[in-house]
Amino acid sequence: MHTGVIDHRNGRRLAGRFPLALRWRELIACVVCLLAVLASGRAMAAGTTTPAECKALQAKYPQLKGKTLTNAINPHTPGYEALDPNDPSKYIGFDIDLGEAIGDCLGFKMAYKPVTFAALLTTLQSGQADIVISDIYATEERAKAADFITYSKVFDGVLVAKGNPKKITGINTSMCGTTAAENTGYVEVPLINALAPACKSGGKSEATVQLYDNNANCIQAILAGRADTYINDVNTVDQAVKAYPDKLEKATAVTLPYSVGIGVPKDKPEFRAAVMAALLAIQKSGMQNEMLKKWSLPAENIEAPKLIVSN
Amino acid sequence: MDLFLHYLSLPYLLSGIGFTMAVTALGLGGGLLVGLVLASMQLSKVGPLAVFARGYTVIFRGTPLILQLVFAYDALPHIGLKLSAIGAAGLALSLNEGPFIAEILRAGVLGVERGQLLAGQALGMTPAVMMRRVIAPQAIRTIVPALGNESVSALKNSSLASVIAVDELTLRSTQLASSTFDFFSIFFASGLMYLLLTGAIALIQLIAEAALDLDRPAGERFAHLLPWRRAKQGEDELAAPARAEGAEGAEGVQAQTQAAQGAMVAHATAKTGTSAAAEADPLASRAPLRLVGTPRPDRAKRYAELAQRPAAVRVTGLHKRYGKQTVLDRFDMTVQTGEVIALLGPSGSGKSTLLRCINHLEQWDAGQIHVGGRRLGYREDGRPMSQRDLANERASVGVGMVFQQFNLFSHLSARENIAGPLRWVHGVNAIEADRRAFELLERVGLAHRADALPRHLSGGQQQRVAIARALAPNPRVLLLDEPTSALDPELVGEVLEVIQRLAVEDGLTMIISTHQLRFADQVADRVVFMSGGNVVEEGPAHELLTHPQHPLTTRFLNVMGADHRLEAAP
Repeated sequence: MHTGVIDHRNGRRLAGRFPLALRWRELIACVVCLLAVLASGRAMAAGTTTPAECKALQAKYPQLKGKTLTNAINPHTPGYEALDPNDPSKYIGFDIDLGEAIGDCLGFKMAYKPVTFAALLTTLQSGQADIVISDIYATEERAKAADFITYSKVFDGVLVAKGNPKKITGINTSMCGTTAAENTGYVEVPLINALAPACKSGGKSEATVQLYDNNANCIQAILAGRADTYINDVNTVDQAVKAYPDKLEKATAVTLPYSVGIGVPKDKPEFRAAVMAALLAIQKSGMQNEMLKKWSLPAENIEAPKLIVSN
Repeated sequence: MDLFLHYLSLPYLLSGIGFTMAVTALGLGGGLLVGLVLASMQLSKVGPLAVFARGYTVIFRGTPLILQLVFAYDALPHIGLKLSAIGAAGLALSLNEGPFIAEILRAGVLGVERGQLLAGQALGMTPAVMMRRVIAPQAIRTIVPALGNESVSALKNSSLASVIAVDELTLRSTQLASSTFDFFSIFFASGLMYLLLTGAIALIQLIAEAALDLDRPAGERFAHLLPWRRAKQGEDELAAPARAEGAEGAEGVQAQTQAAQGAMVAHATAKTGTSAAAEADPLASRAPLRLVGTPRPDRAKRYAELAQRPAAVRVTGLHKRYGKQTVLDRFDMTVQTGEVIALLGPSGSGKSTLLRCINHLEQWDAGQIHVGGRRLGYREDGRPMSQRDLANERASVGVGMVFQQFNLFSHLSARENIAGPLRWVHGVNAIEADRRAFELLERVGLAHRADALPRHLSGGQQQRVAIARALAPNPRVLLLDEPTSALDPELVGEVLEVIQRLAVEDGLTMIISTHQLRFADQVADRVVFMSGGNVVEEGPAHELLTHPQHPLTTRFLNVMGADHRLEAAP
């Protein structure tokens, strides 16, 4: 990027000086841009076409129309939500497309707020976000913090080092004595911890859990030999194997008794109803299937929306 | 390497630097504000404020920043205060930096020598003037390195704002690493960016330190690094007395040409002449008691004449206790205008306390002090005075004070030590103040050292500057608190000589506490011998010193006289 400015009479000196000067100029430009970025909100994702029922929904929920809602995401899950490697100013993935489709259907725009996984629901509760569409499993526990509208079944993959040296076969006693990397707040954590009595009765030590705060850190833990396995959504695991085919593999896939859900505030039943209706319309129009195909997710993931709320 | 360079120049990461800088700037700016408030609360003498500040410090210094960030971002909305991510990060970082910066500021303020504050007070500086002109300039110099440190730490701490969705460098790096799996090249790139930012802070710190370095005149900021320049500076200091001789000789000649123009100038000539002689003769300055002139002629006549004059200082029934110990016990003393009083007495006899009361640097428990007919310590409406009132009182009553430890403002040149207070306290314009400062420096034989910092002057020279500073506002009375006690023996003479000239030539009213008996004999009209906060004996100087009546006086004079005989023998 700096080769154009080399002065041939004195090339070396200039070559040494200009890159820095240019970088600073960029920096200053960036600082200048900062305010504009601040004002205009965060990265927007690409839009989609809209099903027919949406017009009626927009008429029914006019309060959402023209708004910009904030979607709290933990954008460390390629395939669901992550930066676009080709244009890091955008978020891409299945969840992003789904959220945009719901927004288009109801007439609002989506802004994104990247937070740690454990902070997704806190951010929603504090009002710093309006909605959470971030591959979060709708459990009874989590339903105490937010209402969920489910949209997908959960299939987990067991990520291990190439060759599966610890012979892990799922969330079962094969994990006794091994170390699992997980993200803080993931549903897999209590499931792995629940293996302790079984391990003990088998005379083995229990499984250890290392807690990280994003996907990349969990994958790095296996690559660095700190952890033996990382159990998470199967697509995430597949992406990791694709990135490091020589070092990682998927030992197996397991089904978890959960659904993936969209989190909405507990005190906004009307908004919840609107999102539910929009999701139904999107599923009915076949858009969700297209999105699954687009992101190479299995079609059997799809699940009819149901509410998970706690009282 | 290619990937590393790719990420190093990736606009997405580079623009994250903007957020990092914004959070850091908010945190440091806010922290400075919080720190200023906390430091003033702790330095204030108001108990509850200090306790509150201490409590705040304990909480915000004692909890992790990451918790404070999450609190500001996620908890405050529940009480209706919904800040943007940057706002919440700026707030949390400010609240967290505040106590650290407060301690830095406090250390800077407390690091300023107490003596300089006393001198500032004695010169009539209000607390505000003192803060602005004496404390702040010195404190700022000492806190720059610590502030640089704190800035680097704040910059790095800003990365924690990534947990509350501030779109800064660290958050961008981790997200990018998650989506591209180029973990290491991304973090090396962002690490280098952080390094450049902290490097920039270090550079700013160095520049600030260089710009504030008093030992480097603005024009020679970098020249001083050259070895020959440094050698020359060293020579300057060694050669100071020798140069003084030459310089003063020249000034003498110049002054002589002006002599016809007025008696005032003629005085100056005489003075510089004698001081040059004293400095040129090393023996003269080594022997503290070898003073110019003979004891005042016609003592009896002068004594009678003084008694006719109005009182310059009248102390009646002055009582002062420190805790249970009585320092001044219903003390009475009257000083006539133009009179020179030598206060003698053992340590702890109350000499210094008396002088400090006369300048109202101390509060007393009972009794009255009048200076020039004005009663100290009460406003016209009879209410007690604030610090500010006291300062104004000192400035207007006209009591100058010279301290044992000189107490020059160490960040100011000799000339500024004199001219500064004239401008700040008495509102004299800059040109006039400068002229007055130079004139006084000439009188004490230090015109050639006008631009020297106190630390580059000898003790004797510093004390002469301090005397000039005390004289600058034309005080009614000059108080000298053991002016030569902190000096090396060979430097005593030059100071005593200056004081003597003030007495002889200016007829200045002076109260001098001293242990120099022969000096007292030559200069003082009257000696007041104190012990235990009381006057034991007083009378015409020569009589009292040669024929003391009270056994305590006799014993004291014997001990001191014996010392002096030893000291006087080279």
